[in-house]
Amino acid sequence: MAIGKALWEGFLRSAESFPDHPAVFAEGCTLSYRALHMQSTRIAATIQAHPEFSKVPLTAVFGYRSTAAFSGVLGALLSGNGYVPLNRTFPIERTEVMFERSEARSIIVDTGSLPQLSRLLERSKQELLVIMPDITTAHKFRENWPAHLFFGLEELSPSGAWKEPIAVPDGTAYLLFTSGSTGVPKGVMVSHKNVTSYIDYMVNRYNITDQDRLSQMFDLTFDLSAFDMFMAWERGAYICCPSQKALINPGKFVRDMNLTVWFSVPSTVAFMKRLGMLKPRQYESLRLSLFCGEPLPVSSAISWLEAAPNSVLENLYGPTELTISCTLYRWDPVQTLGEAEQDIVPIGYPHPGMNVLVTDQNLNEVEPGEEGELLMNGSQMFVGYWKDRDKTDAVFVIPPGRPDVFYRTGDRVRRPIGNRPLTHLGRIDFQIKVLGHRVELGEIEAVVRRITGLDGVIAVGWPITSSGANGIEVFIEGDVEHHDALREAIRAALPEYMVPKRFHCSKRLPRNVNNKFDRKAMVELLERGL
Amino acid sequence: MSKVTPNDVQAFLTDYVTGKLRSDGRVSVEQLPEDCDLLLSGMVDSIGFLDLVAALETFADREIDFEMLDPEEMTIVGPLCKFVAAQANGMS
Repeated sequence: MAIGKALWEGFLRSAESFPDHPAVFAEGCTLSYRALHMQSTRIAATIQAHPEFSKVPLTAVFGYRSTAAFSGVLGALLSGNGYVPLNRTFPIERTEVMFERSEARSIIVDTGSLPQLSRLLERSKQELLVIMPDITTAHKFRENWPAHLFFGLEELSPSGAWKEPIAVPDGTAYLLFTSGSTGVPKGVMVSHKNVTSYIDYMVNRYNITDQDRLSQMFDLTFDLSAFDMFMAWERGAYICCPSQKALINPGKFVRDMNLTVWFSVPSTVAFMKRLGMLKPRQYESLRLSLFCGEPLPVSSAISWLEAAPNSVLENLYGPTELTISCTLYRWDPVQTLGEAEQDIVPIGYPHPGMNVLVTDQNLNEVEPGEEGELLMNGSQMFVGYWKDRDKTDAVFVIPPGRPDVFYRTGDRVRRPIGNRPLTHLGRIDFQIKVLGHRVELGEIEAVVRRITGLDGVIAVGWPITSSGANGIEVFIEGDVEHHDALREAIRAALPEYMVPKRFHCSKRLPRNVNNKFDRKAMVELLERGL
Repeated sequence: MSKVTPNDVQAFLTDYVTGKLRSDGRVSVEQLPEDCDLLLSGMVDSIGFLDLVAALETFADREIDFEMLDPEEMTIVGPLCKFVAAQANGMS
């Protein structure tokens, strides 16, 4: 089956071929392809009926693990706009910044996110188009917020009014905000072309069919969620999204939903192992187990395969800027043990259409077998950071003697010798992984600096784990009397996994010979128990 | 070793959650009702739940196998305390 140039096309084909197949499970109920098509085209038609709200071709989706969130994603795409996921489990201040920065003027909101909607409405200087598929009529909202335009389910345009938009392969499919070093989240623009070339390769590689049932472990604000949705909808498969509660016992969810494809961060394996959920042959329905988002320890892969013995396991690697994943490695019980480095499963080989370069700090290619920064380009390389030329220019580089632009991943890898796989050795900059989430330490520092008014602020990941860190601790040069109040103020600005567990104040923080703050020395202080 | 009761676990759980909330600078609680959902009330998140499990295992002096506990009940005080007590007494 040919893949189109727009991300919605696979869903439309599946809705036509398999209208009665289950398309999505969320909040304990299932929507068929027919029902999902109906709801999403009604949302799309409503957006299309008000083109004045799509001058910036983006629609925000303020939904969390709900059918409205999934129909919202499709509704935004089917209207011809890209989608901007927002997350009610984030601090509302962060959501406000993301929404405002996106400049989207249309928003789809599920029931659970309604309590936070007023903050966005209050702050908006422009009229907004608000679609609430979970409520019948929006008349109360119209009374309370006359400056904005509201639509409940009954007030949406009919599905028949929807017109398939003209595909713009370079247009933004989604705008996803990630942690930014200045304290402001960066908007990663990923185009239809980026995602469709990826999905085209992956659905064939994994032979996804209409009989597959894929997990949906990731929030929409994590770009790996796009894999589950569009892989499934491309082939008429079923995505199964656990509730926030079911996330506590993912094993039961695998069995209850009879999943065939599993995709999560490796931390979930450690979590399940810790809770006794990885017993031999527990997950025999799984034929494919995929991991991405942080380093996969060899021990986790072995434990997982004992529990899911019928599955092929692959380790995927990829920053959001390179569209979901850009390299992969298939586990082999014999070969992997010889190819793993630091007991971490290799990240493998680039996807077709993606090119790898491993360079030193001057962007010259290092010799085979040497360490360096991973640079990549190709069909999945993102368009740039939304309205941020400086940040875009900083990550797009032309290495000496090369004619083309590469993206700097900031990841340290070993350049393979011969046909060996790429191995991931850690981060070059100060982006770290905290329990699977990418965290820019600079963002935390920026927030602490803003709140305290103190300049000397260093955040470090602590305690350190094989995949990053379990938390954050902050060193402050100066005095802060009320640590609890500071933590509360930070909690209002950052997600919980970025909130420091402890603060260490001193008159002078350790510095190195260049008079720069010495992070390593601070970590050593923590190792010695301060 | 004397038998661990659900009340023993609940008392430990209350102390643990109270201490955690205080150390996080959050409003503490006097009591944890049996129907209190630790997750939905925001007292623990999925990350904090792992810390809580570790503490419960130390209290019970054995590894606790949560595989058989329904996720709907895993974070609710009453069922959680009964389950941990049963595990501690080698009955589950």
